[in-house]
Formats: sequence, C-alpha cells, structure tokens
Amino acid sequence: MFRNSDKMRYWALILPALAIMVTFYIFPVLGIWEIAFTEPTTGVGNFVQMAESSAVRTSFILTFRVAAITTLGCLILGYVVAYAISNFAGKLTPLMLALVILPFWVSVLIRSFSWIVLLGRSGLVNDTLRDTGLIDSPLRLMHNEFGVLVAMIHVMLPFAILPMLTNMRGISDAYVKAARGLGASEWTAFRQVYFPQTVPGVMSGALLVFVLSLGFYVTPALLGGGRVLMISEYITYQIQEFLNWGLGSALSVALLIATALVLLIAARFVNLRSALLERK
Amino acid sequence: MTDTTDFEAKRDIADIAVERYKQGRLTRRGFVAAMGALGILPALNSKAFAQANEIVVVNWGGTAKDVLQEVLCDTYTELTGIPVVVDGSGPSAGKIRAMVESGAVVWDLCDSGAGSAIILEQQGVTQPIDYSIVDKSKVLEGTAYNNGVGNYVYSYVLATNPKLLGGNVPQNWADVWNTKDFPGMRTFRKSVRGMLESATMAQGVPLAEVYDVLGTDEGIKAGIAKFRELRENIIVWGSGSDSQNLFLQEEVAIGNIWSTRAHLLKDQMDEGSFNVSFNGGVIAPGIWVVPKDNPAGTEEVMKFIAHGQKPELQVKWLEMIGSGPINPEAAPLVPAELAPWNPSSPENLATQILYKDEWYAKNQVSAEEMYVDALIN
Repeated sequence: MFRNSDKMRYWALILPALAIMVTFYIFPVLGIWEIAFTEPTTGVGNFVQMAESSAVRTSFILTFRVAAITTLGCLILGYVVAYAISNFAGKLTPLMLALVILPFWVSVLIRSFSWIVLLGRSGLVNDTLRDTGLIDSPLRLMHNEFGVLVAMIHVMLPFAILPMLTNMRGISDAYVKAARGLGASEWTAFRQVYFPQTVPGVMSGALLVFVLSLGFYVTPALLGGGRVLMISEYITYQIQEFLNWGLGSALSVALLIATALVLLIAARFVNLRSALLERK
Repeated sequence: MTDTTDFEAKRDIADIAVERYKQGRLTRRGFVAAMGALGILPALNSKAFAQANEIVVVNWGGTAKDVLQEVLCDTYTELTGIPVVVDGSGPSAGKIRAMVESGAVVWDLCDSGAGSAIILEQQGVTQPIDYSIVDKSKVLEGTAYNNGVGNYVYSYVLATNPKLLGGNVPQNWADVWNTKDFPGMRTFRKSVRGMLESATMAQGVPLAEVYDVLGTDEGIKAGIAKFRELRENIIVWGSGSDSQNLFLQEEVAIGNIWSTRAHLLKDQMDEGSFNVSFNGGVIAPGIWVVPKDNPAGTEEVMKFIAHGQKPELQVKWLEMIGSGPINPEAAPLVPAELAPWNPSSPENLATQILYKDEWYAKNQVSAEEMYVDALIN
C-alpha cells in the first residue's frame, strides 16, 4: 500500500511533462497519420503513390546516405576530440568543453548561413584559395552534397562528442596502465583495452546523430541548392507548394517508421538501454 | 480543377516592401503600413472600414498595398470623394468563397489570379465584369474573363550577369542550355511554373506552339528531359528573394526569374553586371475579381476598375514596384530608361507568351513530380 502511493507520487511528478507530450506531440502526430490515410481519399493511395515515385525513392536514399556519412564524419572527428579532452586536456578541460558546447548557443540557421559566407562562389574559402594562386576559377563547395555534408557535420558534432566524452570520463585509466605494464604497445592497449570500453559512448553518439540527421531540414535546404532534397524538405515541398497534405503526411509517416526501424535494428546489435541511458 | 493561382508570386511582391524601404523609396509611414498588412504589426482590419460609400480593395500586402493605395485609391478619392481603403490580408480563393457563402461580404475588389478567377466563377461567388464600364480594349488580350479582368503583369524573364560570362550573354533559352559557350551556374524556380515553357523553347519550339507542345505527354517529358540534361548546372530558387540573392552573391550567371525581382536587381548590381531579356519570357497577369453582394455595389467597383486602367496610373505602378501595366496604351508613357524593364512594352510583348492557367490546372501536379525527379534522381 505504501509502495503503491509512492509510485503514484512519481507518476504525478512526470504528469505535467507527459501531458505536454501527449497534447502537443502524440496527438498531432496521430492527426498526421489520419491525414495520410484519409486525404484526398480514404485508403492507402498516398503510400502507393509514394512507392511508385522515383523522386521519393531517390530522396529517401539520399536522406539515409547523407545521415550515414554525417554520422561517420561526426564519430571520427568527435572521437578524437572526446579522447583528447578526457585524457590530455587537464586544466584546459573546462575551456575545451565550452568550445564544444558554444555552437549550441547559436541557431542552426545562423550556423548554416555562416557556411554560405564561407563556401560561396565568392566566399572566404574560394577567395583565399584564388588570392594565393592555388586555383584559377572558384571551386563548387556548396549547392551540392559536399556543402550539405560539411555543414551538417559541423552542426551535429556536439551531439557526437558529448555522449562519447561522458562515457570516456567514466573509464578508469588503471586498465590501460595495467595493459601497458603487462607489455602491450600503446596501440594494442588502446585497441584492445580502451576502445572496447568506449563502444557504448560511440553507439549512443552514432544513434543520436543519425536519427537527428534523418529529419534535418534547414541546412540541406540552404546549402543543397535544391538538388540535395532530403525527405523533410520534400515534405515541406508537398505541403507548402502543392497543398498536397495527404502525400506530405504519408511521407512523414514513412520517415517516422524508417527511423523506428533504424532503432529496432540497432537494438539487435547494441544494448540500447546501456548505450542511451547508462554512461559507463 | 485545382487552383493554379501563384500565391507565392503575390507574396513575393509583398516582400519587396522591405527592399524598397531600405532603398529609401518607401516612406516610413508607408513601411509601417506595409508591415501591418503583412501581419507583422496588427492590422486594422477591413471590418472596421466597411461602411457604405467606401470601397475596400484587397491585395497581398507589402509594397503592393502601399502603392495600390497611393496610385489607384487616393487618386480615385480625389476624383470622386469616395474613400477607398486597401486591405493587404491576401484574398485567396478559399477566403473569398467563405466570405460570400457566409453572407458577410466586406471586400469589394480582390487582386486574384486567372486560376482562382475561373474557379470562383464556376462556384458562382463572383460577379461578371461589366464591360460597358470597364474597357476590354485596355487590358492585354487574353486577360479579360467573364468574372475577372487583368490589373497588372509580371514575367518570367531571362536574367544574366554579363560580367561573369565575359560579356558573352545568352540571347535565348537555347543558349541557356548551351553550357559550352556559356559556362556557369543557372537558376530556375523550384516549381515548373514558367520553367517548362523555357525548356520547351530551348528545343526550338516557336512561341505560339509552346503550350501545344506541352499539351502532349511527349512534350512534357521532352521539357523535363532538358532539365535532367542541365541539372549539374542548376541551383533552384524557392522564393523571390532566393533568386535575388543568387545573383547578388554571384552564385549564378544566368537565371529564369521574376521581372519584379529583376527590377530590384538592376538597381542593386553594378553597372554592366546585370541584364534582362524578355525574349522567350512568360507573362503572367494579376486578375481583379468582385465578390458577389459586395458592400459598395457593382457599379461603383466597376468604375474603380476602369479608373485603374488609366495609362498614367499604370506607369506609376511600374516605376514604384516593377509590375508592368496591363493596359497596352501605357507603354508609350513609360520613361525611356524603364522601357526595357517593362514586361508589357510592345517590344517585350512580341517576344513573350501569356502564362496559361488552363495548362497548369490540368498538368501541374504530375509535371512537378517529374521535375523534382529530373533534378535529384
């Protein structure tokens, strides 16, 4: 009886957050599902149309490719940063952490626009290269997939660094020291002792970046030049340009399912609970 | 039939307000009024204004609201003593219909599009234009409908940056598709509106036959194929300001953009780095429609429309905002330096075709799908 009311108290505590989620998230999402199946006619017409459209297929492939490359880029760059901070930064740790978190204070829109300033045809990078005589005509650094990837890796990087950093800071240096003491080379000690302990951090970073990238909108829209049409932009396109709510909703349902599938598949290989909830 | 009115084009004319203000061409008062119309400042709404003996004209806000008030409405008040106010809240076909069906009509005259005008007529919520008062000969041929009549025009034009192209400027759409002699990026709209026409002309189809060719599936596919062919050189523009930025930042050397945006760019770009050709342009009209049971009465509104047809007023419109006169008689009054930028001058009209809403009603949805596919797949 006592335990029961204790449980009730916890439920009461999360109730406000839950209510907001249900009212402003679950409920609208269900509305989107309804539209996907009822407009313009009831049935699975929108999904058939979607499956038959090669533009949609291309856009899905593109979305997953961009998300995958972004994830890979973020993991490689982020791992190095997290490793350096947790093992070598010393007194500089707060400063370096601040530098990682700083971009969070600037809106994604502004960060994407900064890349336009840098990567444009007469942008900083091209001008510098031209002035130093390295190139004759400007390189095409944006309005293509390359520009989108550069900017997305930049925007997503903190999401990869932070989980890995938390994970690495929980690893005791005794293990590596022991391995070294037993005669392992620096590389072997890292590969066989240190790295396996960081896998949960890597996995949670990877999942976070990948899932966020799948639904990314602003950066590809600004830097893609209309030719890197991610699914989220395609949805906007259907709804704003053609008032095609049915197909737009069907696309977002498909994106949601695809994202859920990614998580399910990941769950087969990774212990999601330990990857996302426990930072050890 | 789907509504083919290009609401984005209309909104874009609203955006131009900000630019004009920056250039000092709009007064602060005008700017505040325009912002109000855009919904950034709370607007005094039409209901408060809709008294008897007053005409409420509705458009899409921005400078267009300001210019409309100054050029057409205030001059009409001067002549007749009848107050005319502009409401910039955007008279979409849906809103007009809802208003008429609810029986609470407060709008007298709406700036709509050909697509909406046709649908609204079918739905029976607009009044026939009284062509004994409104002069049919004072609008471009093809813009006088039963229940709607042209009020201004804008065009899809071939804009180029001669500086980036080394002085060698494309003269027609076939040149635009010739990347060997005219290297550099091109920009096209993120929609087939006004774009498929240019791709069709690029295949050597004469002006008069463009919509005939596009009327067939092969014609559409051929046009789409042209975009597939050119896509490595294409950056698309989503909004009018996108197209303007792409030229300003020298990201593109060539583009198919709105003449109203070109009108701004000619003042912003350096001498010799911006050029516009109406050769192969697509000219699109705005259309006045009158809701049924409008409060000011049919005759009064028709008189106001006729007032707006005066050539000298139409020229002012072009000077201030870049939308061209719908009245062909206005062309000789256009100042010489503006004449090349006037979408409806006789020289420019001769090289353009009239945007065909009927085609869009029938084919747009499927064509858009193919267009996206051609650009990304």
